[in-house]
Amino acid sequence: MSSSTVSATPGMNNQQYLELAIPLFSFGATFAGVILWSRGIEINFQFFALGCVIGSCLLAYLAWCRPKKDIVALSTPIYAFIFFVVPTDYMSGIVLQMLYAASLTLLLVRLKYRFGEAHTAVSAGKELASPLRDYVDLTRDAVSGLSPETAHQAAVVISQFSTGEYARAAGTLGGSSGSLPAILSRAAGIANEHALLLEGSAPRPANYKTFLPEDEALLAKPLPPSEDEERHFDAQLDNALLVIFSAAWIGAETDRPHLLGCQAFLLKLFQ
Amino acid sequence: MKIGNVEVKISVISIGVFVIFTIFLILASLNSPDVRSNLIWLIPVLFMLLVIPVALNYMSRSQYAELEPEYERQAKTVRVKLINENMIGKIVRIDGVVERVHFQFLNRPQYSVADRSGAISVKMFTSPDEEIKVNDLVVVLGQVIRRYIVTGEPVVNCVSIRKKRDTDDA
Repeated sequence: MSSSTVSATPGMNNQQYLELAIPLFSFGATFAGVILWSRGIEINFQFFALGCVIGSCLLAYLAWCRPKKDIVALSTPIYAFIFFVVPTDYMSGIVLQMLYAASLTLLLVRLKYRFGEAHTAVSAGKELASPLRDYVDLTRDAVSGLSPETAHQAAVVISQFSTGEYARAAGTLGGSSGSLPAILSRAAGIANEHALLLEGSAPRPANYKTFLPEDEALLAKPLPPSEDEERHFDAQLDNALLVIFSAAWIGAETDRPHLLGCQAFLLKLFQ
Repeated sequence: MKIGNVEVKISVISIGVFVIFTIFLILASLNSPDVRSNLIWLIPVLFMLLVIPVALNYMSRSQYAELEPEYERQAKTVRVKLINENMIGKIVRIDGVVERVHFQFLNRPQYSVADRSGAISVKMFTSPDEEIKVNDLVVVLGQVIRRYIVTGEPVVNCVSIRKKRDTDDA
């Protein structure tokens, strides 16, 4: 009963139109100016820089829409103002506007390839990303049937871990571990142990809580070989938090908006 | 240069500006008697080009030195992977290795520090106590902020970065 669905993203189409509009406006306005001048309509050539100004604003908007911001693209409207506020004559105007339009196009290509895609429903926190959705489906039978109160506690643990409130996270889900499904009980124990260690900035202990071999089919990340102790220890927490998240997502529908707010943190746990 | 307990560093940019304006002043005073007659205030102004960056560096470094014990007390040692945008404002300690160093010459260094779980950008708005190079094992103390204050991914606003000592693991 995953509430999230792979929705069509109409925003993406709009984004593509906007991307197309940037070179269209910035080159197009200058070309329009050249055509008008060649027909004897000699309007001040500075006005045709408006295409470059609009192109800059569109580029800045596209940069703003991305989770990873490009400060160069964001600041192009300021440069457009600086470059085009001063009146220019015909030939220098053409050169300046064409160079500026070419620069905007290059910045657009750079934005697309170096700064990723625009916000999606996932990155905007409206929809669950596919690795988390798939993991919830995988563990549904193993962690379902929690009381609303316990499921809420699981959601609280996730929220507290994502905000670095480790002292408060410790013990939040431990109190009623007898009534928890086996894998969730182990996950709660691991999360509690790590929360206390993180709160005290303590190093990895020699003996620590782990999942059982029978849990492995339900774990999000395969456990590294036990010789690599540090990674093995870290993977226990990553898996524990994802098990707790799954239980919270299934059992506490009212907490889903908060869990979506922790999505970026949870997705990093898969890495 | 040491002022009190604070080791003050001046960036090469500030020295470069001072040198360029010194050359300008020498050339101008050789060519113009008017400039020579004003040297009594031009020379102190020239030295202000060095004094102001030194004073700013002293103030920022002494302030960072005051903050360090408080950060040391509050910081929690975390893996890079656990740092996320919900932790904006939290004080953290990272143990890691320096992968990249930028803008050291501006006295505003930016490091990319990685541990076994990932890498994060560490920004510092003054010069560090010791020179940090690529591949150094370091301990970073700082606050999680957004890259561009109100937007961007989480980065660490560093108050202290130092090479890891044997006692850090104890």
